Amino acid sequence: MKRSFWLVLVFIVALALPSVIGEFWVHVAIEILILGLFAVSFNMLFGYMGQLSFGHAAYFGVGAYATGLLLLKTPLPLPVCFFISMAAAGLAALVFGYFCVRLTGIYFAILTMAFGQLIYYIIFQWYAFTGGDNGLQGIVPPGWLLNVRHYYYFTLFIVIGALVVMWLISASPFGHTMRAIRDNAERTRFIGINVRRYMLINFVIAGMFAGLAGGLLGPFNRSIAPDLCNWQQSGIPVFMTVIGGPLAFFGPMVGAVIYTLLFALITGFTEYWPLTIGLVIILVVLYLPGGVLGLVQKKWIPLHSKKLTPGPNGGAGEEI
Amino acid sequence: MIFAQFMSGLSRGMMLFLIASGLSLIFGVMNILNFAHAALWLVGAYLCYTFWYLMPNAALGLWLSIFLAALSLAAVGWIIEAVLIRRVYDRELSEQLLLTYALVLIIDDLIKIVWGVEDKLIARPPLVAGPVFIFGAPLDSYFIFVICVGFGVAIGLWWFLKKTRYGHIVRAAVFSREMVSALGIPIPRIYTGVFALGIFIAGLAGAIQAPVGSITLGMDMAVIIQAFCVVVIGGFGSLLGTFVASLVVGEVYAFSILIWPEGALALIFIVTALVLIVRPWGLFGTPART
Repeated sequence: MKRSFWLVLVFIVALALPSVIGEFWVHVAIEILILGLFAVSFNMLFGYMGQLSFGHAAYFGVGAYATGLLLLKTPLPLPVCFFISMAAAGLAALVFGYFCVRLTGIYFAILTMAFGQLIYYIIFQWYAFTGGDNGLQGIVPPGWLLNVRHYYYFTLFIVIGALVVMWLISASPFGHTMRAIRDNAERTRFIGINVRRYMLINFVIAGMFAGLAGGLLGPFNRSIAPDLCNWQQSGIPVFMTVIGGPLAFFGPMVGAVIYTLLFALITGFTEYWPLTIGLVIILVVLYLPGGVLGLVQKKWIPLHSKKLTPGPNGGAGEEI
Repeated sequence: MIFAQFMSGLSRGMMLFLIASGLSLIFGVMNILNFAHAALWLVGAYLCYTFWYLMPNAALGLWLSIFLAALSLAAVGWIIEAVLIRRVYDRELSEQLLLTYALVLIIDDLIKIVWGVEDKLIARPPLVAGPVFIFGAPLDSYFIFVICVGFGVAIGLWWFLKKTRYGHIVRAAVFSREMVSALGIPIPRIYTGVFALGIFIAGLAGAIQAPVGSITLGMDMAVIIQAFCVVVIGGFGSLLGTFVASLVVGEVYAFSILIWPEGALALIFIVTALVLIVRPWGLFGTPART
């Protein structure tokens, strides 16, 4: 009840936003939507499956390159490109995820990173196909999306659609099975669930939505660089999720808003953005485990209405 | 030609070993994967440059600078452990990783603020400036020095861990924190010491790297990933494993760059992925630790 009120409010604000803010901030808003979708897809692995992927940018990058290349070399309409982006990223996630889900913890993190770097080096070196370190230039969206405000609404509806689908997945029996695996993989196996297969399906879903987010990026930026596949880029959804709160579905989205707004504000008057975000992350890790939404839960949701249990990531409270 | 390539791979491997051994030591004892290891390594290189710059006329300028850089970096490591790392021992893996990753961002920007964006170059003393000839093949004499230091650190660490009282305590702490602490040994002090030692070796590695080529911002980003790969291949916490894996990675890189230059770096990740899939605990690690 209370949450649906907030969601409707956020939706109305999102609809009205482009008519009250300048073009620069519309760009920032689009970036928030794209990176927010990327971070929510990452949190399918981190928050719901309990595994930290440090190579999620690879699937984001595969999606970006798929749409970018299709727009440059074929006359396919944009929505079709997005579907192919999702399929390509999902395929990559299927191949690499098959191995990754055999491991957990630190080994999962490093294997996802190793595969991510592998994809990065392939894209970086394959000049004939991906343009190597020059990236892809001149990715132009169709005419009706050239106006940045139009692209904003287009992105808004795609991201909302994707969030609804991911929300339904996380609320489905499948989503609850993922939570069970996160909390105790061994017990989940004992009740007859094929843990690896479930983890792999989840890995592919997360990869597909990262691919969709990547697909949205190319026509927005008009260019793609291989840097958006490397491990530093993989850190961005991790930051957003930890700032916003990994135990809430919308936590990564909140984190994306904070991170991107901070980036837009800070880079306006200092070049030392990494220093700033580094300090923010340290403060969040030390003093705000559970992220912003974790804090909101702890402070404002009355104890008697919801039983609070300590989360697996050091945060407080169950999913909101 | 092949011998020269072998030696270049050896020196590259030794350099990797110097970075990865501290990383592996810290992970083995403290269970913390230190993302900031290579960033600190780069600070070591810049510190070496500064000390060298301040002592233009000293006969042993470079050698003294290397030692001072490693020592002052150990002090930095000691502070970082006492102020930050200590607070996250009982936290989730993701939080520990994020904390050290945040340190990378901070340290890299601090380097930019302190030393600026220009590349730094150290002129080598005449002793290691020219080539030497072994079996008729010209070799960079500085590489010989690097290889010697690598072997020296490997032997020194082995001796420390196997033969000294402190080494025994450190190895015992790897197995059971509680037991060691129950024997009245202050675990926090051991951890601080191990972290400072790991960072000391990183500083030594950075300072030794400094005169190899120019010191550039962002050098650490590629190095940290390779060091992770080495530690994974060798097995977390295994000194011998790290040593062997460093040499393998160094040689594989040196030879694959002759045959297939585009794939040289990608090959490391393929090897790492293969090891993780087949033996997640690494070539020389023990399955119990997983």
